[in-house]
Amino acid sequence: MIDQQPLAGIGLRARHVGELLARRPAVPWVEVHAENFMADARALASLEAVRCEYPVSLHGVGLSLGSAGPLDRHHLDRLRRLADIVEPCLVSEHLSWSTSGGAYLNHLLPLPYTLETLGVVAAHVEEVQECLGRRILVENPSSYLRFRHSAIPEAEFFAEITRRTGCGLLCDVNNAYVSAWNVGLDAEAYLDALPAAAIGEMHLAGHVANDADGQTILIDDHGSPVAAPVWRLFERALERFGSRPTLIEWDTDIPELDVLLGEARTAETLLAAAARKDGRARAA
Amino acid sequence: MLALPELQQSFTAGLLGGENTALLDLIEGDGLDARARLGIYRHHVLTTLTAVLDAVYPVACALVDRRFFGYAADAFIRRHPPAGPCLGEYGADFPEFLAEFPPCAHLPYLPDVARLEWAVHLAATTPPAAALDREGLRAVDPGRMADVTFTLEPSLSHLTSPWPVEKIWRAHQAEGKDLDVDMTGGSVWLEVRATGDAVTVRSIESGTYALRDALGRGMSLGEAVEIALGSHPTLDVEAEIRSTLEDNIFSHFTVLAREET
Repeated sequence: MIDQQPLAGIGLRARHVGELLARRPAVPWVEVHAENFMADARALASLEAVRCEYPVSLHGVGLSLGSAGPLDRHHLDRLRRLADIVEPCLVSEHLSWSTSGGAYLNHLLPLPYTLETLGVVAAHVEEVQECLGRRILVENPSSYLRFRHSAIPEAEFFAEITRRTGCGLLCDVNNAYVSAWNVGLDAEAYLDALPAAAIGEMHLAGHVANDADGQTILIDDHGSPVAAPVWRLFERALERFGSRPTLIEWDTDIPELDVLLGEARTAETLLAAAARKDGRARAA
Repeated sequence: MLALPELQQSFTAGLLGGENTALLDLIEGDGLDARARLGIYRHHVLTTLTAVLDAVYPVACALVDRRFFGYAADAFIRRHPPAGPCLGEYGADFPEFLAEFPPCAHLPYLPDVARLEWAVHLAATTPPAAALDREGLRAVDPGRMADVTFTLEPSLSHLTSPWPVEKIWRAHQAEGKDLDVDMTGGSVWLEVRATGDAVTVRSIESGTYALRDALGRGMSLGEAVEIALGSHPTLDVEAEIRSTLEDNIFSHFTVLAREET
């Protein structure tokens, strides 16, 4: 539906579910972490209530698309069963790895961007898409290091993954900003190099500046409002990609629901401006 | 450079263990020591998994104070990282770890309190099972009843302790703040389960426990009765079996096949 205005949703965490269902605020869609509903019957029951009122996007953090070893089929089956119940509007995962030798490290760990990694990630994305019977979006990570032998720039790596698998991209604007700062890259040039047509969703979140041995490192902690330079980068992304469904994430020090809704309204104002511009450009 | 499988093994070892020169050599400094960059990832892994354990084991944490809990959790995570991404399933081994962790040796009740907290966590997150097929059970030939085995309703756990762990646990719940805990009160036998949206922790008699625990471990009714009578010769077996069925603690039964003669 090309003419449908993409709108800003919110990341839904357990503490807001009751209030969301009681108040039914006019938020166009919500996104949840898939893993929180796979082994918790009560959480799943509450999600089933939410999906009757709002479109739900499933955001996975545990598939470990970049693991050198095979995908965890048990986990993938759980994701498929959850998707069968929720009928999500979007399904997304990360360009990262978390599992090695049977240990799950609960972090989106960095990958060297090499031809070997490209083969691994593309095969895993295809396996997931085949199992779920749908296209997934893959999100750019927040990086705190890069590997010396990374031969392919991350944006090019993404372009090749989308070309090989047909998957879409989830462009996390905060991650792009944080990564560029932490490993000395240019965030705007990074966005410019991403395959615009493949962007299916954008994320916005807060970060925190930490001191590491006298150097400032930005930590993607999702624990504060979206920072001013990230809003500016978002505007730049909208110019480049056009309007896309956009999500406000907030996962630590979670504030009142209204604070998230306020952030979503700010994003929506920018999305609407971008959509008007798109319309004018098409009319011209 | 390392191939991806070796890089990930090395990275895992570097996060959970000590220094790893081969790994550090792979990391671009970009103005910051590679160790510090790896440390950012390690810090996230350890603090988020400690938070997972803290959420499941709040009473154990309160009993030892937060700093010591963090120390024990750190050692546990490094030795027993999660096996999968559903963190609601992480931490089942933590009570056993505490039992073997020398710095906790002066708190002999701590592992049992943690076992109770895991049972409560399990009850709170396990989906309700279908009820036992009572019609089917009534139809079993009375001569075969001793060969029936049962499956416990999946939210349910039995545990026993020489320490008053139920009272210790209750004293740390919102409604139990004023509870006095008598540490010399003797052993407890507990049944933990989901009841609707709540979790029930209740004390049962030792004889009741002996029968139910044996059935929960998959023994046939005949074997379980024998075990319960062995430790509790005066147990009213018929009444116990009746109350066990009334309490709906099972989800399935099976009649064991007899070997043909």
